[in-house]
Amino acid sequence: MFDSRNRALALTIVRRTVSTLITLLGVAIIVFVILRLLPGDAITASLGVNAGLLSPAQHAALVHFYGLGKPPVQQFFSWLGASFSGNLGVSLSAQQPVSTLIDQAAPVTLELSIVSLVLGLLIGVGFGMIGALKPGKVGDEVGQGIAVVGLGVPVFVLGTALVTFLSSHFHYFPSSEPYASLFSDPWLNIQQIFFPSLVLSIGIGAAIMRTTRAAVLEVSSQNFVRTARGKGIKARVVTWRHLFRNALVPIVTMSGIQLGYLLGGTVIVEQIFILPGLGRLLVTAINERDFPVVQSITMLFATAFVLVNLGVDVICALIDPRSRGR
Amino acid sequence: MVRVPGFRTAAVAVVGACAIAAFAAGASAHNAASSTVVFANTSSVQKLDPDVVTNFVDFQALHLIYDTLVTYNDKLQLTPDLATSWSFSNGGKTITFQLRKNVNFTDGTTFTSANVVASLERVKDPKTADAASSFIASVTKIVPDGTYAVKLLLSHPDASVLNGLTSLNLAMLSTKSIAAGTLSKTPVGTGPYQFVSWVPNNSFTVNANPGWWGGKVTVPQVEIKTIPNEQSIASALQAGTVQIGLMTQPQITEHLPGSIDVQKVLDLSYRALMLQDRTGPLANLYNRLAMACALNRQSVLTSSVLGQGKVIGPVPLGPYTSSPISAVCPTQNIPMAKSYLQKAGNPGGFTFTAMTSTDLDATSSAQAIAVQSQLKQAGITMNISNLASNAYIQDWLKGKFQGAFAENDADPNPYTMYGRYFAPGANLGVPSGYSSAALQRILTKSDSVTTPAAAAAQFKALSTYLTANAVWLWLFDGYVYAAVTSNVHGFSLPPTRELNSIAKATVS
Repeated sequence: MFDSRNRALALTIVRRTVSTLITLLGVAIIVFVILRLLPGDAITASLGVNAGLLSPAQHAALVHFYGLGKPPVQQFFSWLGASFSGNLGVSLSAQQPVSTLIDQAAPVTLELSIVSLVLGLLIGVGFGMIGALKPGKVGDEVGQGIAVVGLGVPVFVLGTALVTFLSSHFHYFPSSEPYASLFSDPWLNIQQIFFPSLVLSIGIGAAIMRTTRAAVLEVSSQNFVRTARGKGIKARVVTWRHLFRNALVPIVTMSGIQLGYLLGGTVIVEQIFILPGLGRLLVTAINERDFPVVQSITMLFATAFVLVNLGVDVICALIDPRSRGR
Repeated sequence: MVRVPGFRTAAVAVVGACAIAAFAAGASAHNAASSTVVFANTSSVQKLDPDVVTNFVDFQALHLIYDTLVTYNDKLQLTPDLATSWSFSNGGKTITFQLRKNVNFTDGTTFTSANVVASLERVKDPKTADAASSFIASVTKIVPDGTYAVKLLLSHPDASVLNGLTSLNLAMLSTKSIAAGTLSKTPVGTGPYQFVSWVPNNSFTVNANPGWWGGKVTVPQVEIKTIPNEQSIASALQAGTVQIGLMTQPQITEHLPGSIDVQKVLDLSYRALMLQDRTGPLANLYNRLAMACALNRQSVLTSSVLGQGKVIGPVPLGPYTSSPISAVCPTQNIPMAKSYLQKAGNPGGFTFTAMTSTDLDATSSAQAIAVQSQLKQAGITMNISNLASNAYIQDWLKGKFQGAFAENDADPNPYTMYGRYFAPGANLGVPSGYSSAALQRILTKSDSVTTPAAAAAQFKALSTYLTANAVWLWLFDGYVYAAVTSNVHGFSLPPTRELNSIAKATVS
């Protein structure tokens, strides 16, 4: 039986789920339309200027092969319908089911994202707490320095610098070896994932750190914290139960936003670190005008992003009852 | 002192992770098996059907598996491959090929004239959509002449068919594979290597073909690995996980350590400013000649590719190479440019727009900026429009440009290069932007002669015509690079950029 608190929470979840579905439909339409509005088509993307060498009969054969003759609305609904049934189509270039390509690439990106987020949270929350509890001290200064680097230096510069440094000084570039999954070769996998994750986590950690620092500083000046300290409650308890917990909502919100940044960052980092993930698959597919792959991965990224936001809203509602029903 | 309880654990975790990584770094990873040579390329293999590939790395990869009837040697002269000899008859309208015996496909079938017929008929079938079918457009019939000879009957004398037959798009295929429809999934050829695996966007692997007609293959396995940027290729070379990096950027190859041998060869391509000569100011010959005289092509080469290349004429490489100094105004001559503008009736110069695409040629914007400043000295204003690759290709195909900075494929046979643009009924007549009966006559004649001396005279006339009329402005040919680690011996990169010399290389 629902009490009023649970009812408000359930209402929040239902409302956010509906808006999530509407958002995803909007993304599907936008992606579909934008891809078709771009100049050129799958034939010119595949053949380049050599498309001009095709005879009319050859051109007609390719139009049929790529399904370019069908009306766009028919293409959209047949793609959407098939996607709902789990059929994402066949890659125009690789001639393999898109689902197979995504199955191969998704674990790489998922692992990279999780490790980056964990490292980013460790860096961000850790230095944020140090900065807030000991403002102006060495720890705070180090944290601010990391924040400047993380926010100011683009991921591709950090990544390229790290790869160049390790390979030229240590002859070490584990990502350039064939990709090993966590289950096939855990040790190599850790080496291949750690460095790109580190690069991504600095950017994520910087934003989380600044949010954590500001939120904890704000909470620490409130009366209930002074009261808790005055009552002689242990510092550890005051820090985590009073300060951190009350500063958690903006930290969780910022972490959710950073996950969006993370998805964008994986596209770049996978290029630099040669990881066969979704980001690299997406870039290749865009270059080759491989519509089924581009549409599917974009939808996957969009779905992940809105689901994370949905999760963030639910977590915030759980942490802070005041946010329920908004 | 304020403590941060729990942070210590987190800090230890981060430091621990770094220590693990540092340990790994100290361990150094040279894990590539010595039996495997790994090539790295920024592009990935995109298709496996040799008749439809257009991506350069596809050609390189599949050439390890497939053979053609005719091929080029290191001097870009025609040389036998699966055809041991050929001869023209019937006034140049029949070419008879004698085929190599004791050649087997890796599926166990034997190479005969039936394979030639089936392969070339597949190329000519519109459903295959082989863009290179234009190379054998003049072939009306492919007739077996016994088991080991075949005749190509032509609609008109067309010596460039031989050059066309060097293309992987006209490779010899297994009739069994054609019938089974498996060419796009499982390549089967007669070349030094046989297909093992292809991971799209990642790697392409082949093993030595023990029954190769060319003898023992000394490198047992070759992998072509996709590394999307050249800086990462340089890093992989230094880490020892890649043995040969195929690169184009001199600013990266110049910073490789001395232990890595960097081979550089002029690419079988050329950079030119293509002009639409049919309308506007560029329809006036003297305006175009003024542009040719205002150009300092050496300076364009220096500023766009750090001087890593060579100023060229219309035919950059091969037995019919044209001399760049025979062109009108071989070096920059601003007074002459201004005098041509006077003759054109434009003493104050004129304005036009040239398009570039850094997606297609990373150096094109730098070329355009250099050319822009040089033309300005003569009073000619060139606006630059940088387009995304698809927009550029679309406009290029429709001829919707006044000038286009292009990196075009070259061929040792000038007819193969320019017939597609300027010959009667040329497929690329629209983007070529120029047509004339005189040029068509030169091209037609050059293609009908079958002796090298006669061909040389015609191709010289072709080059002279193209430059004297400033049909386009030819700029330079840039180097491409193969960065080879010290443990690989005997590999050399030819201008065609084929990788097949790896079959006879050794790895220490």
